[in-house]
Amino acid sequence: VVVGLLMVAGGVAAGLFGSLLGLGGGVLIVPLLTLGFGLPLHQAVGVSLVCVIMTSSAASGVYLERHLVNLRLGMTLELFTAIGALIGGSIAFLLEERVLEALFAAILAYVAVTMLIGGRASPADAETPPADAATSLAAATSGEPGAGDRLSGEGYRVGHLGLGLVGSTGAGVASALFGIGGGIIKVPVMNLAMGVPLRVATATSNLMIGITASASALIYLARGEIDPYLAGPTAIGVFLGATLGSRISHRVDARILRLLFVGILAYTAVQMLIKALG
Amino acid sequence: MTTDARDTTPTVRDFEGRIGRLLIGLTYIAVAFVVVGVGLMVASGIGPLDGGPSIDPGKLVADLGSLEPAAFLWLGFAIVLVTPITRVTVAGIAYARQGQWSMVLVSVGIVVVIALGVGISLSTER
Repeated sequence: VVVGLLMVAGGVAAGLFGSLLGLGGGVLIVPLLTLGFGLPLHQAVGVSLVCVIMTSSAASGVYLERHLVNLRLGMTLELFTAIGALIGGSIAFLLEERVLEALFAAILAYVAVTMLIGGRASPADAETPPADAATSLAAATSGEPGAGDRLSGEGYRVGHLGLGLVGSTGAGVASALFGIGGGIIKVPVMNLAMGVPLRVATATSNLMIGITASASALIYLARGEIDPYLAGPTAIGVFLGATLGSRISHRVDARILRLLFVGILAYTAVQMLIKALG
Repeated sequence: MTTDARDTTPTVRDFEGRIGRLLIGLTYIAVAFVVVGVGLMVASGIGPLDGGPSIDPGKLVADLGSLEPAAFLWLGFAIVLVTPITRVTVAGIAYARQGQWSMVLVSVGIVVVIALGVGISLSTER
């Protein structure tokens, strides 16, 4: 019972942090299960993927109702995250656990640095569509539309589709290898490279996490790497944490939270690296 | 004929809203099954580190009837896993009705890639 409660509590913390900071929570669930409970990485990844889909589905449902998602763009990129997940899922079981742990430590360090840098940027700037949106929109509505134009949304034009497809494939590989949603790759690619406003990029990425993680999770399920007794309490915790996070997000100082989270990620990255190095 | 790239028509907005409600509804149903499963785990004295059984679709209904915790957990997780795929399928059907064949192709492609992943995993596992 104590272990179960600890897993629920850990899941609540991961879901809460993930929800408040716009992450799926996978970057915390996997270290929690491997470093905290000594589980093999593959099993932790399997559990994490189930939790990530659960929170993503609920959140993206709300985003869809509010029409914040670019569904066409999301589905087009999903095809490539699914291909990435297929590649990642095949590689994951060929690599040594230590290699995966070292790579996971690198991912954690990358997320920590990204969050630190992202915290300094003005959210208002980030949510504003690109300065040339009006011009781009005019170009998009004249003449024969290209693939990017067909995927554009209200007030912005999607550019660099090729880069988005490559980024999405990479996010799919990362998801299958590390049990994360891949939003940390997809959101910057959509926002910075493709010109999608941050709010739409976040909502669309959240929707895509469902397919990315489902493609990966089904591979783990087929290989018997999802344990229902482990996943149950953790998933409930993550769901509770994410629900709580969405309700209190407006009351929390995101800067302090971000710094705290960066500290936790950095510490976890070091611990994961130490584990990898034996 | 295809609709405009910027989908702001009432039909498209309604369809997005319906998909949104479908996702939320399925997630809550899945969570309910997982909660029951965890409750039965506690009642049966099963711990998270005890090692759960693999999914066995053939026994699922019988196990649900005999209140096996793993059966409720697996049913919940199965709903979790198929929810995004259901969303893609429903969107694909809606796009087909609107004559947006490139999006229909994308929907089919996603489902095929996922099926391929499962097929490859199952065959290599054996």
